[in-house]
Amino acid sequence: MRVDVRALGACNRLAERGAKQAAGALSDLTGTDLAVEVTGASVASGEDLAEAFAGRESIGVSVGLRGGLDGEAVLAFDAVNVDALLSLLPGGQSMERSAVTEVGNIALGGFLDGWANFLGKAIDMSPPRYFEADGAAVLPDGALAGDGVFLFESRLDATTTDLDFSIYMLPDSGPFRDLIVGKTAPAAAAGGEANGGTTSTAVPYESLSTFSSLAKRGSSNAADNIAMMTGLETSVDVSRLRFVPLADVPAEVGTEPHAGTVFELQGEPSGYLAILFEESSAAAIADAMLPMDPDEPLGDMAENALCELGNVMTSGFIDGWANVLGTSITHSPPEFVHDIGASTISPLVAKLSERQDYGFVIDTAIETEGIQARCDVYALPDERELARALDRLSDP
Amino acid sequence: MTRSLSDDRPDEPADRTESDGDAVADADPAAVTGGAVPDDPGRIKVGVGELAVTSDDAVLTTSGLGSCVAVALVDERAGVRGLLHAMLPAGEEKPTAAARPAKYVDTGVDSLIAALDDAGADPRRLEARVAGGAEMLDLTDAVGPRNVERVGEVLDAAGVPVVASDVGDAVGRTVRFGPDGRLVVRAADGFERAI
Repeated sequence: MRVDVRALGACNRLAERGAKQAAGALSDLTGTDLAVEVTGASVASGEDLAEAFAGRESIGVSVGLRGGLDGEAVLAFDAVNVDALLSLLPGGQSMERSAVTEVGNIALGGFLDGWANFLGKAIDMSPPRYFEADGAAVLPDGALAGDGVFLFESRLDATTTDLDFSIYMLPDSGPFRDLIVGKTAPAAAAGGEANGGTTSTAVPYESLSTFSSLAKRGSSNAADNIAMMTGLETSVDVSRLRFVPLADVPAEVGTEPHAGTVFELQGEPSGYLAILFEESSAAAIADAMLPMDPDEPLGDMAENALCELGNVMTSGFIDGWANVLGTSITHSPPEFVHDIGASTISPLVAKLSERQDYGFVIDTAIETEGIQARCDVYALPDERELARALDRLSDP
Repeated sequence: MTRSLSDDRPDEPADRTESDGDAVADADPAAVTGGAVPDDPGRIKVGVGELAVTSDDAVLTTSGLGSCVAVALVDERAGVRGLLHAMLPAGEEKPTAAARPAKYVDTGVDSLIAALDDAGADPRRLEARVAGGAEMLDLTDAVGPRNVERVGEVLDAAGVPVVASDVGDAVGRTVRFGPDGRLVVRAADGFERAI
């Protein structure tokens, strides 16, 4: 069975629309303006999700889905944000549990309306259930089982207060898989015919779970290389591969100043890789790498150190990919960047956008022990080439 | 790991039904007017590949411009302003341009002028201010300068004069376009100037 990876784009867009509806419903309820910041569709293994959510506490609301979609949807707040949420709601603190349940019910209803429209079928929601959860227990039941699940995640942001939260939906992968295949089979087939089957973006369903291996393998290699180079103990904090509208990527990086390095990748897949540190982290890690204190925190010496670090991280990253995909990938020399985070990544997004509207973003936060430094790695592969490599992988 | 559950609202299951039946592949109407989200009554955030128009006192903002270009148009007499945040120079002949015209300079400027016209501006009275189009990276063959060049061509063809610009170099920018018709450009180091 083949799935067009661009079908994930359609699903993503749908999730984004649903999230906008949820934001609208919540804005009406709370009298606060909410904006949808980011929506991503991810394909992740249970193991990766458990790691990604380790140490987080959440409260939220869950509903079961029947009809057009079977599965479960969850709306979750970080526990630290609950007071901010309650202060917005009628009834305030005294109403905690029922207020949160009401919010969740309204927002999830808005979210699911979009899907029902798309499917042309009603979706029945079971009564909302309030929950408090540690770590990955916030995720819909079943997300941790199996080795490849679709997960839709939206982050809404209240611009006047510090509040954001996520909506996760885990369609039972059987019926959902059929849905994706059913909606996209003609397109995938047409692409295969038109291009002799070589440039289609359709890949076997089974190889979707390979995506999460990609993210993980690359990140842990990069972390190992930092550890070897700096002698600092290094760990991979989060590593997930998501499918997002490319236009959302700069907003995700944010407007804080960042420093780091950018690389062009050649081979299969080609694309770009950006390693971005917030300024204080960049200065801290450069300082740890240099034999003497630099003249200025992010001057020439720090730039050289960060470029060298970027080189070893990128090598580790793409070696991981090449191993998983059985391809050969090379990278350009590092280009140092130091500016508004969103601005540094916008040319990469623009270049990829010439050929595609959605991109696979691999989010990785790598933390070094002993010094407070963390960075985000944005890997932006060409979707067609990635699909081709994944497709080849599944050939006997 | 714990997950405690309780049923707080034993309501009947809510029935989510089809309302307008639009297909996901349709052009998103929000994208034409920018999909920009008013985050408070006085401020409208314009994202990458979006545009927005206002005829009141709202401040239009867009952040994190790198190689992307911001085009701010105003008809001062009508009190109508609009802001575009475009990513790539040319969308004409691109199949995706119809769904997301504001992604491209050419289709984006055309859409912005049309939206201003709809909001009561006279296209013959429009003035343009342009910011962004930085050459952030050597890796990405001058997409910023190509964006700026295309803005000049498209505005020229539309007969809209560029009264001020802050473009190029290798610097990220964030802009605010307020009711006075001036475009306030802020760089990563916090330096601000109004053009």
